[in-house]
Amino acid sequence: MGEEGTEGTVHLLCLAASSGVPLFCRSSRGGAPARQQLPFSVIGSLNGVHMFGQNLEVQLSSARTEDTTVVWKNFHDSITLIVLSSEEGTSELRLERLLQMVFGAMVLLVGLEELTNIRNVERLKKELRASYRLVDSFLGDSERIGDLTQCVDCVVPPEVSLLQEALSGFAEAAGTAFGSLVASGRVVAATESWWRLGTPEAVLLPWLVGSLPPQAARDYPVYLPHGSPTVPHRLLTLTLLPGVELCLLCGPRPPLSQLDPQLLDRWWQPVLDPLRTCVPLGPRALPAGFPLHVDVLGLLLLHLELKRCLFTVEPSGDQEPSPEQRRRLLRSFYSLVTATHFPPEPGTPEDKVEDAAQRAQVPRACYLVSGPEEPGTGWRLVALQLGPRRLLLLVSAQSPTHGLRSLATHTLHALTPLL
Amino acid sequence: MHSTPSRCQAMARPPAPGSVIVPDWHESAEGKEYLACILRKNRRRVFAHLTDLSETQPGLLERPVLPPPVAIDTASYKIFVSGKSGGGKTALVAKLAGLEVPVVHHETAGIQTTVVFWPAKLQASERVVMFRFEFWDCGESALKKFDHMLPACKEKTDAFLFLFSFTDRASFEDLPGQLARVAGDTPGVVRMVIGSKFDQYMHTDVPERDLTAFRQAWELPLLRVKSVPGRRLADGRTLDGWAGLADVAHVLNGLAEQLWHQDQVAAGLLPDTSENSPS
Repeated sequence: MGEEGTEGTVHLLCLAASSGVPLFCRSSRGGAPARQQLPFSVIGSLNGVHMFGQNLEVQLSSARTEDTTVVWKNFHDSITLIVLSSEEGTSELRLERLLQMVFGAMVLLVGLEELTNIRNVERLKKELRASYRLVDSFLGDSERIGDLTQCVDCVVPPEVSLLQEALSGFAEAAGTAFGSLVASGRVVAATESWWRLGTPEAVLLPWLVGSLPPQAARDYPVYLPHGSPTVPHRLLTLTLLPGVELCLLCGPRPPLSQLDPQLLDRWWQPVLDPLRTCVPLGPRALPAGFPLHVDVLGLLLLHLELKRCLFTVEPSGDQEPSPEQRRRLLRSFYSLVTATHFPPEPGTPEDKVEDAAQRAQVPRACYLVSGPEEPGTGWRLVALQLGPRRLLLLVSAQSPTHGLRSLATHTLHALTPLL
Repeated sequence: MHSTPSRCQAMARPPAPGSVIVPDWHESAEGKEYLACILRKNRRRVFAHLTDLSETQPGLLERPVLPPPVAIDTASYKIFVSGKSGGGKTALVAKLAGLEVPVVHHETAGIQTTVVFWPAKLQASERVVMFRFEFWDCGESALKKFDHMLPACKEKTDAFLFLFSFTDRASFEDLPGQLARVAGDTPGVVRMVIGSKFDQYMHTDVPERDLTAFRQAWELPLLRVKSVPGRRLADGRTLDGWAGLADVAHVLNGLAEQLWHQDQVAAGLLPDTSENSPS
C-alpha cells in the first residue's frame, strides 16, 4: 500500500443488459482519463460470464485475478456496469460504490426512463455522452472522497452564519427552497431542503459542479436519482467568485436570465469578505488556524447520520508523503475499516443482516502502520468511532503508536463542533 | 428551410471592418494598459459575478475595475453561440475567454455562460469602451430534448454566433438551416459566422469559392479562427494570456463592432442601411 509510481488502470464498461450491446467504455490510467480500450472479445466475455451466472440464478458480484479486481452490477435489469481495476489498494467496496455513483451520474444527466426502457440504443449512446465528464471524474484521482464515503464533501468557513443567511435569502428571492454554496466541489453552506436531498444526488450535485470547467453560470437539466428520477429539475449555478458557486435546484422558474448581476450584487456584495474566505478553503476544508496536532498529516471526519464528511490532507503539507499519496492512504484505510472493522453506515442495505450481538462487539478504534515495520517508520493510520461520528487520521511516523488513540480522541473532540 | 436569406428580414448591413472600432488598438501602448486589467501575471482572468479587477481573480460578482483616471463605461451584451453538436462551441468560448480548451470533446449537458471583458476604442469618438460579452452555449442534445432551452438562449440576445468547422463540410452546409431555425424570427439581431479549425486548411472541406458564395448570399460578417493549442508561459503549463488575446482579438473586435453599430442604429444615431436594400 502506498508505493508511488505504479500505474493502475481502471476500465469501466456499460452495457445494455438484455442485448449485451456496449453503451460506453471509459478508462483511466495512473489517475487520469485514458483512451485505452479493452478488446471487444474481452468485453463480451466479461458480460457473458455474468449473464451465464444470472441464467442459473447465480449472482456474480466480484472476482480477483493476480493484479485486477472485477466487480459486476446490474441496475433495474436494464443496465450492466462492469469495472476492472488494477489500482493498488483497490477493494470490492470501493468498486461497488464506484458503480453506484456511475449509475447515479447516468440517471442524473439522462433520466431513469431512458435507461430502463431502452427503445433506441444509438440514441441512448448519444445521450450518455453528456455523462462522460462526470463518470470520468469518478475513475481518476480526486481531491474529494464523497464518491467512496457516499457522504457529502463539506468545508467549514469561518463565518458560516452570514453566508447561510445570504443563501437562504437569495434562494427565497429566486423562488426555490433548494440552495447551496459550493467551493471547489465541496458544500460550504446549504438550505435545510438542500440538506434533505437523498443519496446519491446530495453527493452528485456538488461533485458535478466541482468537476466542470469554470463557467460564469449554468442551467443544466438534472434528474435526481433518488428524489425525482423521471421528472427533470433544473440545476442553476452561478459563479460568485472563482471556485465559489451558488447552486439552486428549481423547476421551470426562475429563468437563468432573471438571476442577473444586479440581483447577485444585492445579496452577495454585503458578504463579499466572508465569501472570499471560501476561495482557498476547498482542499483545506477547515478554517485557517484550526488547531491540529503537528503529527496529523490528513484527516477524514464522517458524520454518518447527516451523511456529510470533511476530508483534508493539507496539514503539515511540507512533509512526506505527497498529497496524492496521503489521499490514497486514507481512501484505502477507509475502505478497509468500513469493509472489515466497523459496521456499515446506517441506512445502507447491509444494515439488515446485522444483529444485536454483532453490534455489541463493534470495535471503537483501530490502527494500522503502513510501510516498513522498523520502529519510528511507517505512517500511522487510526480510526475512531464515537456515536454518529467516525474519524480517520493519517499520522506521521514519528508519532508513538501508544499515543494514537488519545490523539484521535482529542482531534475528534476538537472537530465535533464543526460537524 | 430557407437556403437563401429572405430579404424582408434584411437588417442593417454590417459595418465595414475597422470602421467602428480602431483595429489593432489592443496592440498599442494605450491598449495594452487597458488590457492589463483583464490579465493577471500574463494569464487571462476568469470572471465570476463578484469579480473586481483590482483583485487576484474575478467571479460573477466581479468586474474589471480600472484606476479612476481611466475608468470607462461598460457595454454588456448577450451572445448565443449556435452550431452543430461537437462543432467546437464550448472550445471556441473557452478560447475567447482565455481558458484551457478541453482536449477531449464532452457534450455540454445544458446551458452554460461565460463572461469575457474586452476594451476597445471607438473610431468616431476615440472613446474607450469596456465590452462585456456574455456567451451562451448550449449542448445540442439538451437543446433537442428540452423545449425551454432554445427560447432561454434566444431571449433578449444581442447577437448570434454561428459556428462551422473548416474540416466538417456538413457543419458548413447546416448554416442556412441554423440561421433560419435559430435566428429566423429575430430580425435586427447581429448575426456573425465563425469558421473554426482554419489552421487545418490543408484538409479543408470548405473551399474559398463556397465561402465567397455564402458571403454574397447572406451578407454576414464571417471570421476564421485557428484551433491550435494556445501558447504557454515559461512554465510550460499556464496559457500565455497575451498570446491568447492576440489569437482572438479579431473576433472580439468584430463582435464589438457589430454590436456597437447595432446599438447606434437602434438609437437612431445612424441611418438604417436596410431601408435602402431591395425588398
